[in-house]
Amino acid sequence: MENLHIEATKYTPEINLDAKKGLIQIKGKSYPENTFEFYAPVIEWIKEYFKNPKDETAVEMEIIYFNSSSSKLFFDLFDIFDEMKDKSNIVIKWIYDEENENALEAGEDFIEDFEDLDIRLIAKSE
Amino acid sequence: MNPLIENIEELESEFFKLMEKLKKDIKRQEKIMSRSDKRQKKEYDELQKRLKEVEKLQQQQKELLDSFIKILAAAIDAKSSYTGGHCERVPEIAIMLAKKANDDEKFDFKIDEKSEREISIAAWLHDCGKVVTPEYVVDKATKLETIYNRIHEIRTRFEVIYRDLIIESLNKKLNGEDEKEVDKWLEKEHEKLKEEFEFVAKANLGGEYMSEKERNKIKEIAKREWLRHFDKTLGLSWAEKERVKPDEKLPVTEKLLADKPEHIIKRDENELEEFQKYGFKIEIPKNLYNYGEIYNLTIPKGTLTKEEFFKIQEHVIMTIKMLENLLFPDDLKNVPLYAGTHHEKLDGSGYPRKLKAKDLPLPSRMLAIADIFEALTAHDRPYKTPKKLSEAIKILTFMVKDGHLDKELFKLFLKSGVYMEYAKKYLKEDQIDEVDIEKYLKMLSEM
Repeated sequence: MENLHIEATKYTPEINLDAKKGLIQIKGKSYPENTFEFYAPVIEWIKEYFKNPKDETAVEMEIIYFNSSSSKLFFDLFDIFDEMKDKSNIVIKWIYDEENENALEAGEDFIEDFEDLDIRLIAKSE
Repeated sequence: MNPLIENIEELESEFFKLMEKLKKDIKRQEKIMSRSDKRQKKEYDELQKRLKEVEKLQQQQKELLDSFIKILAAAIDAKSSYTGGHCERVPEIAIMLAKKANDDEKFDFKIDEKSEREISIAAWLHDCGKVVTPEYVVDKATKLETIYNRIHEIRTRFEVIYRDLIIESLNKKLNGEDEKEVDKWLEKEHEKLKEEFEFVAKANLGGEYMSEKERNKIKEIAKREWLRHFDKTLGLSWAEKERVKPDEKLPVTEKLLADKPEHIIKRDENELEEFQKYGFKIEIPKNLYNYGEIYNLTIPKGTLTKEEFFKIQEHVIMTIKMLENLLFPDDLKNVPLYAGTHHEKLDGSGYPRKLKAKDLPLPSRMLAIADIFEALTAHDRPYKTPKKLSEAIKILTFMVKDGHLDKELFKLFLKSGVYMEYAKKYLKEDQIDEVDIEKYLKMLSEM
């Protein structure tokens, strides 16, 4: 399976999807004009990956700023992880800046909604 | 079981699952929305706060600029007593005129708040280039006035006396005195006169300390007399005439060198009050200047009278007065303090406020070291020869020892190599000599 790499832009994050390493990385700002269109290939790749996943899957999300449709999309993404949690040992690192209260709260929402997922909040200081 | 019922039960279970998912989705949507609303509010508040900050900064910047312009204008005005207040008054007239033109239909001219400010700033600054114009040019009141080394004038008086002696010798001969004796007398008198002139000329240089004996010799030489036949009030500007009083009757017997009332320029009384207002503790000489010839020639050390020395110290007073009138924004509020304390010394012997260590923050102490080091090593000052690097560091070390400069900062200045970095950039090659930094660091540590 091909890796997928998308460079960051002013409105969209850097995305790194590596099937061999079992790595799903999203890093940066997320407020695209059409969120679902932007993330469509990402979701497609992840669904394809979980047809034959690695034993361990590392998810790293470090989102500095996101709009509400990105927030919705991340819930959808976590839904996929929730469905696939028996096929691979998924560890999700939600990395946020110490001073970014919004990012912390979003992470706490995910933990609340997805009790069965291994979500770790990691504070980062500048 | 009835397949139909089975089907219905299955559908029912599907339906409940779907309902559960819908319920969950709605809850999520609500959560996302409320989070989003909360964030929006926060962002908007933040934006408003920032906007206010920007507006405040803009206002402060405007005030800073205005005050900067005004102190610059005040500095130009302060430079010359003949133009005092000029830069301040021109904007008044300009704006009055502009407003009249605005009201008059004959002129295709309108002013608003912005263009008024523009005209006002231009008027305040119209003479700003004068900060670099030498005072003696700005204030030149007569054609012959200039900065002048009066040794030339005094030499002419010696010439006069030289000729007076010749006349006296001729008179002696006319009166039948022995010619050979008179010639011998004249030669002796001329020798003595030349020696005296050379002594006065040497005293004029002010290189070394002048002893009490030498100073008395000047006063002795000063007693020689010559006859002045010309009116000393002719060719003077009105301002100078106020000081120089006319003679009652010519010719007048003059002393070779003298301290005269007209040599004294009085200080404006308001100035003293002004100094007190700013908390300056430096001693202020009674007079603004004293041009007395004996007074100047008998300066014990250097070439400056106490009036002139004060005038030089006054530059930091001017710096303080100027900077304290600038409305610096909060993050620049220490500028006047740092800039205005670079001549203060840690032991309280500095000027102009005689501040002590506790009142002198590190940046002030840094400026003090930088100021002295630059002054010692500068090679572009006409009145002094530049010091070698080793001499400059030696002098600074002694100033630390005397409690004038910060020891730790000066050690850092040496240890970090700042002195060398600067020297390589600004000193002439022959100024950079060997300096035993370790020796100085050891000396400083033992102080």
